[in-house]
Amino acid sequence: MSENAISIKELTKNFGNFTAVDSVNLDIQEGQLFGLLGPNGAGKTTLVRMLCTLLEPSAGTANIAGYDIRSNAAEVRKRIGVVSDGVSLYRDLTVEENLKLFSTLYDLPNRIAKDRMQNLLDMFNFKEKSKRLVGELSSGWMKKAMIITALIHDPEIIFLDEVTTGLDPQSALALREFTRNLCDEGVTVIWTTHYMTEPEMICDTVGIIFEGRLIQIGTPKQLRRSVAEQSVLEIETPNLDNTTLKKIENIGNICKVTYDDPTLKASCVDEGETEIEESVTKILLDSGARIRSINTKEPTLEEAFISLTGGEEEIDRFMEKSRRKA
Amino acid sequence: MSRLKDFSNVFAVMSNEFRILKRNRSAILISLVVIPFFFTASLGAGRGGEGETYSVTATLPIAFIDNDLSEASGRLYETLVRSDDFSMLIQGYREETALETLGKGGIYAAIVVPQGFQQRLLNNETGIIIVHVDDGSPGVDDAVLSNIEASLKNFNPNPRIQQTGNIEFAGVEILMKGASFSGFAIGLTITLTMVVVFATFYEIAGGMSRESETGTYAHLLVSPVSLGSIMIGKTLYDVCLNIMRTFIVLGLAVYVYGASIHANLLSLVLSTLFIAILTMGFGFLVSSFGVGVRAVVIIEFFLILFLFAFSGFFIDKELLRGISQTIATILPWAYGIDILKRTILIGQPLMNLTYQLQIIAISIMLFYGVAYLLLRLSRERLIK
Repeated sequence: MSENAISIKELTKNFGNFTAVDSVNLDIQEGQLFGLLGPNGAGKTTLVRMLCTLLEPSAGTANIAGYDIRSNAAEVRKRIGVVSDGVSLYRDLTVEENLKLFSTLYDLPNRIAKDRMQNLLDMFNFKEKSKRLVGELSSGWMKKAMIITALIHDPEIIFLDEVTTGLDPQSALALREFTRNLCDEGVTVIWTTHYMTEPEMICDTVGIIFEGRLIQIGTPKQLRRSVAEQSVLEIETPNLDNTTLKKIENIGNICKVTYDDPTLKASCVDEGETEIEESVTKILLDSGARIRSINTKEPTLEEAFISLTGGEEEIDRFMEKSRRKA
Repeated sequence: MSRLKDFSNVFAVMSNEFRILKRNRSAILISLVVIPFFFTASLGAGRGGEGETYSVTATLPIAFIDNDLSEASGRLYETLVRSDDFSMLIQGYREETALETLGKGGIYAAIVVPQGFQQRLLNNETGIIIVHVDDGSPGVDDAVLSNIEASLKNFNPNPRIQQTGNIEFAGVEILMKGASFSGFAIGLTITLTMVVVFATFYEIAGGMSRESETGTYAHLLVSPVSLGSIMIGKTLYDVCLNIMRTFIVLGLAVYVYGASIHANLLSLVLSTLFIAILTMGFGFLVSSFGVGVRAVVIIEFFLILFLFAFSGFFIDKELLRGISQTIATILPWAYGIDILKRTILIGQPLMNLTYQLQIIAISIMLFYGVAYLLLRLSRERLIK
């Protein structure tokens, strides 16, 4: 297997005059949990569908587990698992029957398929539910059944496209933990979502996709920093005098101090924020100032996303365009 | 190894279809009970229409063999040709050659005037002509007979020969040679075709559309199963269903409505399967355009309507005229229905129907080939 589990070069998909994915270049390392973040209609699902050989690219190509998606699609399919809205189980079959069908298609020997099925069903607490028709399951259980089916052949790479949509918070949390463990075992995971908080919680690397273009790639922290270098310390302290303000300004690492009675704002580099908070609090207490509240405000991935995609107006314009297209 | 895997995948897809059918009681009811019973019962209800005749023979090539070579036989030829019903009466065939050509599509009937025809008329006896008809074109016998009868009203063999008055049709008797079929027996071919086309098209095109809409088709496509295995698996599943359906319709026709079938059972099942596989190919072709289930139902009704009008369901395709005959000629189902008619009605062996079989085989390959290419090249149409 190559060092890069996925290597994408100039991948493009046009639907008529509309470019859904626009010259995407990306390398994802083996065992990495890669988050693809973007609003609905940004091109996440189209990108995933090209990578899992469902859609033929209009231009460019990609290597998945060392195999080209255009010339070696059959080999790619043996090595991937897909959970996506447009990829479903047979609703008229039980979970077990679906698993048996796909384990046959993946050419798993009977004994191995049986063991693996049992392990996965136990891991997801399916028990007697495995004998129920998929169509009778709730959306959460249905999604779990999809994940089990995607894992039945022990794939090297798994695509989880908007998997937490419609899941209750406990199931979503359990799924995130499970996915993290998968990566720790060496499985490469592509996690697409439009929930801004999710990639921060679990992803090693995040790619922001907007209007079909991959506009930024980095760790969640790098992305946050790309839009706001400092965290902001906000202290509510009324009637602050100039002498105290000067003392605060002289603390090392503080870039900017503003005071708009009663709010004191101090911008500081992220690494030293705890020390600065302690120093500022000490100066205030020594000068006899009253402290009503202290907050450290960090830039979020959501802010990073809004900033990188051109601001809220640009997102609104895109969403409106997507709605009209739909 | 790869071939073995493909075979195993074909079997997996086929078994999966059966598993889904088993779960879906309404599908079993419609596919194996309602459709066969409905059409066979309609056939039973329509028994009153048997013996109905057709009147259009003008465009049919019919041989006229004059073994008497007399003035009377010459006048008989002129009488028939002058009538509007026999404008394609061909002279010059030898009787044996004409009989061999019958049924191969060259001619549809042969009118033979035997030696002694004029002499019998001169002796004031009934003159006899023999009409051989193509057994595989069941509408033709009635049409030829009734039109000869009509033309003979204007037949005056010789001014010296007086019409006796007690002999019908100017003293000429027509001996029909060839099988005569009831409307009911003919109706059985229509019923079988209807049942097969109606159910098969929906099972394939509707099934593919449903899989596309629910996302299970996309799931198969991201697994290592090949498109060919999916198509063959679904075809084999539907072949099994069609064998069951054929037996259900035949059982009803024979045991409930008393139809008599001359065919060898294997030939009959194979004839039905030719129509079924042809329809499956067309079903795959339609589904490759990514149509929804509702569109499949609409296309199905148009298909049935087309078959009713142009493929020899009610009017034998040889009796159609103009554009309708052109359509019948290019509609592959017409040849399937022809094979089925010949198999059911006269037990004609399939080996003798190579022309029709070739057209069916080419059409099946064409439908499957184009469908395969379209499904491969434009996957997005079937991915929702």
